[in-house]
Amino acid sequence: MSRVVNVMRMQLMNRWTFIGIPLAILVSVLGMSWVIWSFIPYDGVKYSGGSQAPMWYFLALGIQSLTMTFPFSQGLSISRKAFFLGTVSLFAIIALAMTAIYYVLSLIETATNGWGVNGRFFALEWIAEGSGFPMMAFYFTAMMVLFLIGFWAATIYMRWQTTGLLITGIGTGLILVGLLFYTTRQDLWNQVGQFLGNQTQLSVAGWFAVVGLALAGGSYLTLRRAVP
Amino acid sequence: MSSVIETHDLIKTYRDSTALDGVTLSLEPGKICGLLGRNGAGKTTLMSILTAQGFQTSGSVAVFGESPYENERVLNRICFISESQKYPDAFTPRHAFRSAALFFSNWDQSLADRLVEEFQLPVKRSIKKLSRGQLSAVGVIIGLASRAELTFFDEPYLGLDAVARQLFYDRLVEDYALHPRTVVLSSHLIDEVANLLEHVIVIDNGRIIMNDDAESIRGSAFTVVGSATVVKIFLANREILHTDNFASLASVTVLGVLTPAEK
Repeated sequence: MSRVVNVMRMQLMNRWTFIGIPLAILVSVLGMSWVIWSFIPYDGVKYSGGSQAPMWYFLALGIQSLTMTFPFSQGLSISRKAFFLGTVSLFAIIALAMTAIYYVLSLIETATNGWGVNGRFFALEWIAEGSGFPMMAFYFTAMMVLFLIGFWAATIYMRWQTTGLLITGIGTGLILVGLLFYTTRQDLWNQVGQFLGNQTQLSVAGWFAVVGLALAGGSYLTLRRAVP
Repeated sequence: MSSVIETHDLIKTYRDSTALDGVTLSLEPGKICGLLGRNGAGKTTLMSILTAQGFQTSGSVAVFGESPYENERVLNRICFISESQKYPDAFTPRHAFRSAALFFSNWDQSLADRLVEEFQLPVKRSIKKLSRGQLSAVGVIIGLASRAELTFFDEPYLGLDAVARQLFYDRLVEDYALHPRTVVLSSHLIDEVANLLEHVIVIDNGRIIMNDDAESIRGSAFTVVGSATVVKIFLANREILHTDNFASLASVTVLGVLTPAEK
């Protein structure tokens, strides 16, 4: 257990990577969005997709926390299991903190009438419907999924190099094309549209959680035999 | 005493080559052991399997009597910084040492600080920007200051100048004398490390060709110098390892032991 905690401390050794950069991205994108909102000559609600920006950094962080830190952790005789648990737990904590920040900022956004310029950054229409919990569940699971995609992709690369990534990429592509083909063939697009339209933040968060758990399981099994 | 490392018929094959070809080995604790061999002989492969960083194709490994793979009871007592060790991009040597301090229970920070000074290592510079020698120094410092019961050094001298190499050898012997442990030192600079070693394992093409105490190996060959013709007659049917000729003189190294009469 203490080794799992120490893995978190090792990953946080340079605070800038896990804490500084996501916050810097968030603040600068919000600032830039505000400038843009302020000079758009339109009085209605103005949306920005900028709250995604730190989340995409989490994808990169997932890759980085494995490719650079896993070989080092092996040099310090850390078991693969402790490395996995520590890194993923740390990420869950970061995602939770980020989610809390998003929630608080969404409250401020609503209270200040969109930062004084009727802008929407956090409290986006569908995501922010209802109480705060569904929105937080949505943001948290979305961040975890992005992180785990990066983490698993990097693990696959470490274990099977380019061939592994190529096969996974082509395989995923083929499955998606197969699904599209099946949907079209069976004339299911209406149902798909309805299904997607009926989703709430919580149900999407639920899907993300399922995907996230599958990604985590896959990452762990891949890491078990990965060589630094 | 039971052995600290015990392997049986270790084989490691890559797609088109064999890195380890049936390595059976046992090593007693409390020695400085040289793992000697040419580049590509299998030194790093063997050490990475012993520390569960890599995997054998077949065969068995026991370290401290147990399989090291995912076994924290064993891993907690081992330190192996490989010659091509990677560090996180955003790390400085100081970050690396602080991390090491978290995981090695015997970590000695004052020793690490002293070594940093002696190797003149810039601890606040990003590891990416260090020279090869400075990078080796980071590994050497982690290895020494970890005081792990079983410490591996993988060609730790790469890029180090003669002064720094001597410093490493001196500090290794010094600290080993105060805190006995098992040290495995892989090297192809045999001359430099010869005097440190108490035990020698020679690996060639993935096979162990020698595994013996340094003392008995030192006695296993001798050199005769003299007029080439006389030397030739004297040595008659012995197995010759090496010959140097200079004008009519010859210096010949021979396998075996001289009888008192021959001396």
